[in-house]
Amino acid sequence: LLCSSLRCHAVGLSDLLDRASQLSDKLHALSTSLTSDLDTHFPTMGRIMMPHPSTCHTSSLQTPNDKDQVLSVPESELLSLIRSLLLSWNDPLLLLALEAPTLAHPSNSAIYSKTKELQDNTHSLSAGLEHLTHKIGSSNSFTPLPFKGGNLGQDNTSRLIYFHFLLSCFRRDSHKIDSFLKVLRCRAAKLRPETC
Amino acid sequence: LLGATCQSPPGKPKLTSCRSPEKETFSCWWEPGSDGGLPTNYSLYYRKENSEIVYECPDYHTSGKNSCFFSKNDTSIWVNYNITVVATNSLGSNFSDSVDVDVMYIVQPHTPENVSVVLEGTEDNPFLLVTWEPPHKADTRSGWITLVYQLRVKLEKDDKWEEHFAGQQKQFNIFSLHSGEVYMVKVRCKPDHGFWSEWSTTRYVRVPDYISREMSSWIL
Repeated sequence: LLCSSLRCHAVGLSDLLDRASQLSDKLHALSTSLTSDLDTHFPTMGRIMMPHPSTCHTSSLQTPNDKDQVLSVPESELLSLIRSLLLSWNDPLLLLALEAPTLAHPSNSAIYSKTKELQDNTHSLSAGLEHLTHKIGSSNSFTPLPFKGGNLGQDNTSRLIYFHFLLSCFRRDSHKIDSFLKVLRCRAAKLRPETC
Repeated sequence: LLGATCQSPPGKPKLTSCRSPEKETFSCWWEPGSDGGLPTNYSLYYRKENSEIVYECPDYHTSGKNSCFFSKNDTSIWVNYNITVVATNSLGSNFSDSVDVDVMYIVQPHTPENVSVVLEGTEDNPFLLVTWEPPHKADTRSGWITLVYQLRVKLEKDDKWEEHFAGQQKQFNIFSLHSGEVYMVKVRCKPDHGFWSEWSTTRYVRVPDYISREMSSWIL
């Protein structure tokens, strides 16, 4: 009660966004590290056979794709986009964590533990963003996209390729999430300009 | 006409790198193959993910020789660009291998700017205050790009650089100075997910000869 409620609110918000963007930063870094783990033993033909990124299950979600577009989206809308993207990954990440231990790859135990970490971090971030949504009082208008791939495939090679494909989709989405959150963080950080 | 036997269609060009300094524009460079002894023209073509339309490079000049510059209007992020270079002379054409590029994976900022090193503090406790600014093209204000910084410090007479990580800060203090020595300092930056910039040019600063003055007064 030593500060005006508005100011306290703003500080709380920027702290929350700070923590959220630390998590999203971690998510993207983890997915990058997982990709390089996979790349150490990845069949050459896998690169040719890998589905195109435009077939990622989240690619139908319209998101801004340059700075001016991102900066012109209102906070609440950007937050909804982030939550939609994140929620769309619940099922596929579950599948990745289920499949990782038996993946035909020499580092599958490291891949498994990082995939679990991805899952845990995604849940923490989702919870944090839900809190944030309440705090800024925006509506809950977000829609996770359906994920239809129930399993990775029949043989070892196609499982590996599909695992890699899903991960590359997640890597792109986590980069979007991280970029959007860092823009939100700077909008909220007016009181602490040294971060931006 | 004797020389004509050595003439041939151009060799295969090779796309060597693509870089974006600020997540808003990007450039790609290629190495030409042999020109087959004839005047050879190079063109770059690209197709964006989810589109069948093939575009030609919008700007062959801004990024120097054998390059293509994609301005703000031509640049999207989180979209794959499939890029190919075609070399053509009067005897035929040759294509480079095509390369898939997403701007999010090729970010390498310019070097930090206005790097300055000044001596601060007291004679008992002097320190170097190093300050800098982000490269002016990088929009760190809006949060569109987030940069972290690293410093390199060494005594002019030493061989080894000492490295310090400054995080997102735009200043750094260096303590425990050797008096009467010249220090060299440089700074570089890296986006949250991307490549380190080049190092800034080295700044020099001399620390006054505090101790010998102290010593001489003590000897007296």
